Amino acid sequence: MRPSLALFRTTTFRLALAQAGLVLSFVVALLAYVYFATIGQLIAESDALADQEYAALERVYSEGGIRGLNQEVDERVAREGPLLYVLAEGNGVVIAGDFQQLPQLPAETAQRLDFNFERTDAAGAPQRGRARGQVGRLLNGPILLVARDLGDSSAIAGRITRVLWTVAIIGVILSVASGLIASWLATRRAEDLANAARDVMAGDMTRRAPVRGEGDEFDALAEAINAMLDRLDQLMQTTRTAGDAIAHDLRSPLTRFRQRLESALEAPPNSDSDRAALRKAADEADRLMEMFAGVLKLARVEASSNWRFEPIDATNILRELVDFYEPAAEEQGLNFASEIGEGLALRGDSGLFTQAVSNLIENALKYTPSGGRVEVRAMRRADGRIEVDVIDDGPGVSPADRDRVMERFVRLEGTRATPGAGLGLSLVGAVARLHGGGLHLRDGLGEGERKGLCAAFVAPAMDNGVRP
Amino acid sequence: MRVLLVEDDAEMAESLRASLAADEHSVEIAGDGETGQAMAMEGGFDVIVLDRTLPKKHGVSVVRELREGGISTPVLILSALHDEDHRVEGLNAGANDYLGKPFSTRELLARVRALWNGRGREPQTRLSVGDMEMDLLARTVKRDGKKLDLQPREFRLLEYLMRHAGQTVTRKMLLENVWDYHFDPQTNVIDVHISRLRSKIDREFAQSLLHTVRGSGYRLEA
Repeated sequence: MRPSLALFRTTTFRLALAQAGLVLSFVVALLAYVYFATIGQLIAESDALADQEYAALERVYSEGGIRGLNQEVDERVAREGPLLYVLAEGNGVVIAGDFQQLPQLPAETAQRLDFNFERTDAAGAPQRGRARGQVGRLLNGPILLVARDLGDSSAIAGRITRVLWTVAIIGVILSVASGLIASWLATRRAEDLANAARDVMAGDMTRRAPVRGEGDEFDALAEAINAMLDRLDQLMQTTRTAGDAIAHDLRSPLTRFRQRLESALEAPPNSDSDRAALRKAADEADRLMEMFAGVLKLARVEASSNWRFEPIDATNILRELVDFYEPAAEEQGLNFASEIGEGLALRGDSGLFTQAVSNLIENALKYTPSGGRVEVRAMRRADGRIEVDVIDDGPGVSPADRDRVMERFVRLEGTRATPGAGLGLSLVGAVARLHGGGLHLRDGLGEGERKGLCAAFVAPAMDNGVRP
Repeated sequence: MRVLLVEDDAEMAESLRASLAADEHSVEIAGDGETGQAMAMEGGFDVIVLDRTLPKKHGVSVVRELREGGISTPVLILSALHDEDHRVEGLNAGANDYLGKPFSTRELLARVRALWNGRGREPQTRLSVGDMEMDLLARTVKRDGKKLDLQPREFRLLEYLMRHAGQTVTRKMLLENVWDYHFDPQTNVIDVHISRLRSKIDREFAQSLLHTVRGSGYRLEA
């Protein structure tokens, strides 16, 4: 069974949960703040009002006695203000006021009191509520209670609390839901990538991760994965074709090798023909080993690992190569010229660079007939790259064949007789790619039917030049 | 010349021994790095031919420890890994030459001779072969008192040949030591350089100094 991503264990969902927790704690904090800022304020105000009224009535009592107070309380009750009053005897029996009963017998000193009450209002309707106020014993025993009906403020508080809780719950639900949706979406995209990877693992090298064109991070990831798959595919292809080509190309030298050994065996011992056959067999064995060495080198260049890149003085290397090949070119009756720019430097492996350019020069020398021209030109291009051109006016390569000749072991029909492992251009191409550039083939110096060939090795220049 | 051959492949060792013996060297064989190092420490050898990959002790370590132990016998490393990095590593460890497998027997013999020949020589300022004289300080060459006009590269080529006068030097040796190139040109470039040099040093004189050794290379000899 395929391992599948559990929705609740995804990173996105966990982030959403954390976000929900954050929303919740924010609402609780907000609640506390609003509560104390509004309700607390209201209570403080009503406390102050009740205290003031209590003190006023205490004065009435001390001036007019119980009778005066009774009268005053009756008047105030009749006024139906925001305050509630109760006047009772020392034993708690109510004399006058809004309620028939005291909620509680007070201690000696005045105290703050929160209580629920029931009463009938002026119209005779029953009324319940919560009140808060001051209750205390006056001189000689009577009990006075002044309280404020908290009805309004507690309703406000309740509303605020309800609103905030609602917000909190909606916030949490939304966070969890968005977390689930986001993680579902992300999981689906991740599953797409995982499925593509599994298909490739199962052997479908043409499978690619879906790119939706939204330019998001999943697209970027999918593109990177696809680029990696392309590269892997290309490497596998080259390995496969290389394997086929090696098998194919080894067959003929091995056959010749065998034939020569056989004819040496058949010839009289130590005769001239015996010696000649053995020498040819040895040459053939050398060819085989050379091919193997070439294949190994190419494989190492293409694996592009372990090369120590250093600043290399291309100008100097190229001038020395020209100097090295000039006599051979002249001997062949070729017009050999060069034009190497000053201070050309690049970062790379000087051994590989030297060999790459030498392969190009040898190719040109090999295929250009006597009387022809071969030129080596090197310059720094406007785009900051170094281009080394080896140009001839030989038979050239038709545009249709140009990509093919850069594959390994491909030698065009009619050139099979020329020695060479057939790795030349593919090695040069691999070296150019290793240096961050490429090998390009185009028309050379020729005219008309015979265009010649220009092999251009291009690689990024190193900007600061080479320090000696 | 006494040669110590350190090689773990018995068949390869026997074939190399036969070739070296045919070239009039006396050969002793060690089958692993430790034995080889112990035998080299005892001394008495003119040249050591050392495989790079050996059981018990790696060829590069053997060279390094020999040099640290003050043994200066010339060492030629044989290696299946003919990579620039490995070559440089071997030479840095103190080896005098490095030859990648596969190699031809002639190549090996030429290099063994060259190592023996170049051993412990004083720095020279003049070289001479027959009636040809080279002044390394003035960078001039005279033959029979007559000054020869050589290009710098021709001078270096002739210098190498003169330093190895009487020995066969292979094309590969010239390529590595005169041009510092470590690849095989497919064309006959070296032969052309030699024939140009020959036309400058031999053409006007009765006796030829620069000889072609068929199948191997060249030899400068009076």
